[in-house]
Amino acid sequence: MKTAKPGIKLMNKGRLTGWWFIAIAVIMIAAFYFYPMIQALLLSFKTGKGANLHFTGLDNYKRLFSDRTFLAAVKNTFIYLIIQVPVMIVLAMFISVLLNDSKLKFKGFFRTAIFLPCVTSLVAYSIVFKYLFGADGLVNMLLTKLHLISAPIQWITDPFWAKVTIIIAITWRWTGYNMIFYLSALQNIDNSIYEAARIDGASAVRQFFSITVPLLKPIILFTSITSTIGTLQLFDEIVNITKGGPGNATMSISQYIYNLSFKYSPDFGYAATVSYSIVIMIVILSIVQFKAAGDK
Amino acid sequence: MKKVLVLLLASFVLLTACSSKSDNGTSTSEGTNDTASKGTKALTAWAWDANFNVKALNMAKDAYAAQNPDVKIDVQENAQADIVQKLNTGLNSGTTKGLPNIVLIEDYRAQSFLQAYPDAFYDLSSVINASDFADYKIGPTSLDGKQYGVPFDSGVAGLYVRKDLLEQSGYKVEDLQDVNWDKIIEIGKAVKAKTGKALLTQDPNDLGLIRMMIQSAGSWYTKEDGSTPNLKDNAILKQALETYKKLMEADIVKVTSDWSQFVGAFNSGDVATVPTGNWITASVKAEASQSGQWAVVPFPTLPNTPSSVHASNLGGSSWYVLNIDGKEAAADFLKQTFGSNADLYQNLNKEIGAIGTLKAAASGEAYSAADEFFGGQKITADFAKWTEQIPRVNYGMHTYEIEDLLAVEVQNYLNGKALDKVLSDAQSQAETQIH
Amino acid sequence: MGKLKRTFTYVFLSVVSLVSIFPFLWMLISATNKSVDVTKGKLTIGSHLVDNFKKLTDTIDLGTAFWNSAKISIITTVLALLVASLAGYGFEIFRTKTKDAVFNILLMSMMIPFAALMVPLFKMFASIANSFPALGVNTLPAVILPTFTTAFLIFFFRQSTKMFPRELLEAGRIDGLRELGLFFRIYMPTMKTTYAAAGIITFMSSWNSYLWPLIVLQTPEKKTIPLLISNLGSSYSPDYGVIMTAVVISTIPTALVFFLMQKHFVAGMTGSVK
Repeated sequence: MKTAKPGIKLMNKGRLTGWWFIAIAVIMIAAFYFYPMIQALLLSFKTGKGANLHFTGLDNYKRLFSDRTFLAAVKNTFIYLIIQVPVMIVLAMFISVLLNDSKLKFKGFFRTAIFLPCVTSLVAYSIVFKYLFGADGLVNMLLTKLHLISAPIQWITDPFWAKVTIIIAITWRWTGYNMIFYLSALQNIDNSIYEAARIDGASAVRQFFSITVPLLKPIILFTSITSTIGTLQLFDEIVNITKGGPGNATMSISQYIYNLSFKYSPDFGYAATVSYSIVIMIVILSIVQFKAAGDK
Repeated sequence: MKKVLVLLLASFVLLTACSSKSDNGTSTSEGTNDTASKGTKALTAWAWDANFNVKALNMAKDAYAAQNPDVKIDVQENAQADIVQKLNTGLNSGTTKGLPNIVLIEDYRAQSFLQAYPDAFYDLSSVINASDFADYKIGPTSLDGKQYGVPFDSGVAGLYVRKDLLEQSGYKVEDLQDVNWDKIIEIGKAVKAKTGKALLTQDPNDLGLIRMMIQSAGSWYTKEDGSTPNLKDNAILKQALETYKKLMEADIVKVTSDWSQFVGAFNSGDVATVPTGNWITASVKAEASQSGQWAVVPFPTLPNTPSSVHASNLGGSSWYVLNIDGKEAAADFLKQTFGSNADLYQNLNKEIGAIGTLKAAASGEAYSAADEFFGGQKITADFAKWTEQIPRVNYGMHTYEIEDLLAVEVQNYLNGKALDKVLSDAQSQAETQIH
Repeated sequence: MGKLKRTFTYVFLSVVSLVSIFPFLWMLISATNKSVDVTKGKLTIGSHLVDNFKKLTDTIDLGTAFWNSAKISIITTVLALLVASLAGYGFEIFRTKTKDAVFNILLMSMMIPFAALMVPLFKMFASIANSFPALGVNTLPAVILPTFTTAFLIFFFRQSTKMFPRELLEAGRIDGLRELGLFFRIYMPTMKTTYAAAGIITFMSSWNSYLWPLIVLQTPEKKTIPLLISNLGSSYSPDYGVIMTAVVISTIPTALVFFLMQKHFVAGMTGSVK
């Protein structure tokens, strides 16, 4: 450094400043995420009950492919992912655009109401939720009154409808959460852009697609990646609403990890392997999403 | 690297110093929690359920304190799932920091803890006498001939029945004494036809009913060794599943998906019977307007199964001592209280409705009291009697694991898959899963 | 703005709001009923609210738990916003190939379920405690330290920084501000709504966080609200009226934080220092 030429020194200084900004974060994440992650990776090559573990090489990873519960959990999780994430992202964006109208009344109420579902612990919510979606619950009553169905739907105990219920539950709970990110981003868009567009006679739909969506692209990427991760790690909704049932029709990967660690005879080695299978899947999906978004 | 880390951590302590000042003070004094020094001994105990186990522990603590003022017991309430997580994390980390001296563990999970962490629990063989307790409790609480647990509450099962609904359907309580499940299903159809009410509730995710059925005949998901899956060619399990299917297909079951719905169903009078453990009594009695309308009859037997008796079990847990400082004191506490004190069990029954598994307690006055809610039936005495008849099985290490696999296959079975195939598929999956 | 569109907006938002809060209203009603009525699905307001509240405060030390949760959530939120926004700013404004690589590696920390990290993390704190008791198990730093820095929040700040008008920084430089000055005097006030959103989300997740506090907090007087609520349900005969009351009460702080913060989401303010 001391011998560096003045010009380079200045450049280096600019780059160094950047490192100072990110230093704390990098150190903290290295210490509290990567260190345990490496431990977990080592664990994923071990097997045994409780604390008596021994190395088995890749056996745990091989076991994944013949583990029907795991495969069912992966399948379920991907169904949730493919259907739920896009619906929720679009809905969240749509709602925040509506809420971003400066002349709109009761904005505070609307926002708080829509945000509220993600605030409360599911422990109590799920009780209410299951009453709503019970065989003789309010949802079925409503649908019957509207003549949309003739026989009550088994929302919780039918393998197909239980998945639908889970998707409804996740969407209901996390749309408001994602709305927050869009609301905050919308404030950073200069109103004059819209004014100019309006003067040009662009319709509201046109404005949305040619101004709002492109400008929100970083946040769309953010919410779709974090929602993907959230869905792959889905736990609360499943455990509290369907317990993974009927059978394993709604079981998620995270619930399986929990079961392997705590519900069954503890097998932390294999649980770590299943965890790393999520990492591998998310890395692949994220690369796809980053590429799709053009690295914005 | 480690030093840098520690330094960094230390600087963050400063950041949070203002609010953690008081915490630091207490945490250092808590450091002496598990060390027995200077005469007084401090013990911690974990249990769940404030109105049941935790209260029982507190009553035991009071009873013990009278003779042993130098032992201080800190009773801490933690949810059952939380205890399982904390215990597993703690034992797995190889640190005894923060572990309690005494812990309550559900019987179905006990073997998994005892076998996964071999030296973590203190051998109580010389502290309590296993033969003082109901025989069926010894299976889950002992390992390799050593007694590790002090058996606590009985999960003895009974069939809670609504007398009024039965009478409207042309039956009397006497008709349900000593019958098998086929008869119960027949009665259920009559109840449905006459009153429109369901016979009972079932949560498809919870195979508790099947567990009770097979234990009544002395069978389990695993063989005697507690680890070999026992599903294929298990005639008793097969009979239980056939009975279960018959029940589900008779259109006499109200399907629930939650504990609150289960409780709600009998509180609102939607079902005529509740086959479950005696611990449900408090929830049944919560609906005071149904006083006098309930009775409890012996658990029905499995049809065509000679080994099936009118007694079974659902749930129940026992006390364990961790192999850490203070274990002798903790063992002594359990010995003097849950391990031998029959009077304590009388109070437990009066105060919280708990039915213990200490045989000597059964002859006490509280156990022979008549319960007006159940039309004067001496339900505690009945439950205590049945407790002694529960067949002893080894729950083994894999009850919940196998049950999750079985639940999937049971769904297939209800949808028409052949039973033999169902059981052999479940068996082969269990064999690959269990290591 | 067309009248039709306006009507649609109100109808749509009202329906969405109703669907969103309906279960919460049900919980509010349930909090006024006794357990037997809750399990029956009673939908009318009862008279047991005070009773439920009394039972709740008899079984758990609500005040202490509230204070514990508040302490943890506030400290976590402040630290999290500071560290994550510095990093998000650093990654975007001083973008280099190397930093991008580091950023992508940091993102990987989001991908593993926390359940898999718990045991190693617990081991780590148990061994740190041997030399530094103040940091060990059952202390406030042990709860906060491993959780306040999240790749999630860094990612959010970085993505939001992409929308930040960089010209402002140039203007600040001309005015003679140093790098940290630019960050605190220009970036922070401009990104007010981003901070508001991040604050809401962080406070909420910290207030509700469960697994790590459960493992690391040992004694009852340290416990947070979610841990105590979890105790209520673990019972042969849970009191659902009390559970509903507890959950409604535990929701209030986050709802309040949200309600106060959302006022910063004012449409049409470009945030820039106009």
